[in-house]
Amino acid sequence: MYFRETGQFKSKYKEELAAFPIFEDKIGIAIAALLAFVLIPIFGLPGLSWDFTMSAVMIPVVIFTITTLGLNILLGFAGQISLGTAAFMGVGAYSCYKIMTIFPDLNALICVVLSGIVTAFVGTIFGLPSLRIKGFYLMVATLAAQFFLEWAFIRIPWLYNYNISGAIEVPYKEMFGIVLTGAKSEPLTRYFVCLGFLVVLTWLASNVIRGRIGRSWMMIRDMDIAAELIGVRPLTAKLSAFAFSSFYIGISGALMVFFWLGAAEVESFDINHSFTYLFMVIIGGLGSITGCYFGAILVWVVPVILKEYGKSVFGIDAFVMENFTTILLGVVMVVILIVEPHGLARIWQIAKQKLRLWPFPY
Amino acid sequence: MVNEQKKVMMEVKNINLRFGGVIAIQDVSFDIQEGEIRAIIGPNGAGKSSMLNVINGFYHPQEGEIWFRGEKRPSMEPYEVAKTGIARTFQNIALFKGMTTIENVMTGRQLQMNKNFFWQLFRYGPAIEEEVEHRKRCEEIIDFLEINHIRKSPVGSLPYGLQKRVELARALAMEPELLLLDEPMAGMNVEEKQDMSRFIIDVNEEFGTTIALIEHDMAVVMDLADRVVVLDYGKMLADGTPKEVQSNQAVIDAYLGVAH
Repeated sequence: MYFRETGQFKSKYKEELAAFPIFEDKIGIAIAALLAFVLIPIFGLPGLSWDFTMSAVMIPVVIFTITTLGLNILLGFAGQISLGTAAFMGVGAYSCYKIMTIFPDLNALICVVLSGIVTAFVGTIFGLPSLRIKGFYLMVATLAAQFFLEWAFIRIPWLYNYNISGAIEVPYKEMFGIVLTGAKSEPLTRYFVCLGFLVVLTWLASNVIRGRIGRSWMMIRDMDIAAELIGVRPLTAKLSAFAFSSFYIGISGALMVFFWLGAAEVESFDINHSFTYLFMVIIGGLGSITGCYFGAILVWVVPVILKEYGKSVFGIDAFVMENFTTILLGVVMVVILIVEPHGLARIWQIAKQKLRLWPFPY
Repeated sequence: MVNEQKKVMMEVKNINLRFGGVIAIQDVSFDIQEGEIRAIIGPNGAGKSSMLNVINGFYHPQEGEIWFRGEKRPSMEPYEVAKTGIARTFQNIALFKGMTTIENVMTGRQLQMNKNFFWQLFRYGPAIEEEVEHRKRCEEIIDFLEINHIRKSPVGSLPYGLQKRVELARALAMEPELLLLDEPMAGMNVEEKQDMSRFIIDVNEEFGTTIALIEHDMAVVMDLADRVVVLDYGKMLADGTPKEVQSNQAVIDAYLGVAH
């Protein structure tokens, strides 16, 4: 009824292979873009102060969506599990810091992209065990990456420029007269930088996934023996997935420190964060790009908003609210996973299927 | 029919395959001629699937040679074998469960697609043209195998017979010179078997694809195959036309048992 492809005929394969072949999808994307680019930056979210909306809700959720995209490429599309996400974000952040120190005149955005490339290399190296082992064993191997990198972030002072605090200190950077990073930067600028990265990276990811390389990842995920028989070289497919995924995760790590936190220590990259990102991917839906958005929003935005509303609307003590949201989120996650193990993306798909026939059940 | 003018496409010579102390294949030699349908039969555990795995490069025999198109083939990995034009279907369906039928068939075009990562990244120009071009070819194969109606269905939810057909479509999308079918008719009813047999003959006649198949249904084998190899306990019992094989005493003994 509301959502249907009836009557939307395609006479060329090219049209059918478009990102959004159905008109209703285009409207949906337009609304989301309007929200993210215009409405929220102008008005903020209802009931929350504008500053809080930007710095505690929107900027981090955009960054985490990039992380989730990266992890989903690896876990959802290529089927290689990784628990080292937070550490790879750390690689992105520290390498961005080093690049900024070594080339002080380099544009901040280029530094971020370069740090993504550095992370892609590191990710590929830690992806090597995937050539021999799968599943839980691979998970343990990536856990080693997590521990090793955390150790490196503490024990190699060169990485944080021998700062006494042991933390990354974000330098002042500007582009076209606009302050990008550092304490003086506007939240709005930082938000749009992150959002720009997210839009471009989502577009690139969806392109790669729908093409030859994306298919080779899914082949490896679904049936590696058959994939090999069709001519997919497991080495290339697995390592390219690790590299591509780490590129995203590295960029998100650099953005997190330089465009959100402003300073970071090794605690920002510990294993608990890895679990959170894994949560986002699984709740959102493995193997779905839309799911990355859903997952990041549910796991990050909903608790923050609940906490704020609890304080401002119901006057509940912040500490109580903190615990309450944790419990609530846990329950929601368990329920979602029981009802639909494929996450929010699948629920969304089912909803669209229902809307297609509404008001008839089938 | 055995035709002396036909060229030998593949020849396996004195293959010995052992897993530790277990001898899977012992001194097996046969050839596959261009354009024929070659059947490999034998009781369970005879080493038929192992033989296909050797041809595919999954197993590397301890002894023996494989000659393909008149050249001795070096030890190869499966993905390298795929490049030489050998496709295969599996005994237990090995489709990509997370993808739709058309995507599964498109995976067969993997080797023919070669536009690099940067075109893929922007999905523009050569990358999308290539995608469209191969999509057309896949649609032709889908038409050929009459699975148009399930084009967009996820393969996991399809009935068994159709899954087998999608797997055949995927193998055909590779445009192989030699197609290996591992029990294409296992678990099918008579009607589905008839359909499948028709498709196998069509593929052989229309595309000129050489086919080697493993099958337990004797009626199917005797009707389809030009020549038959019989294996039992890793050894070769007989090799010849269906008629010759049927009347071979060793084969009869292997299948029906023999009084001791």
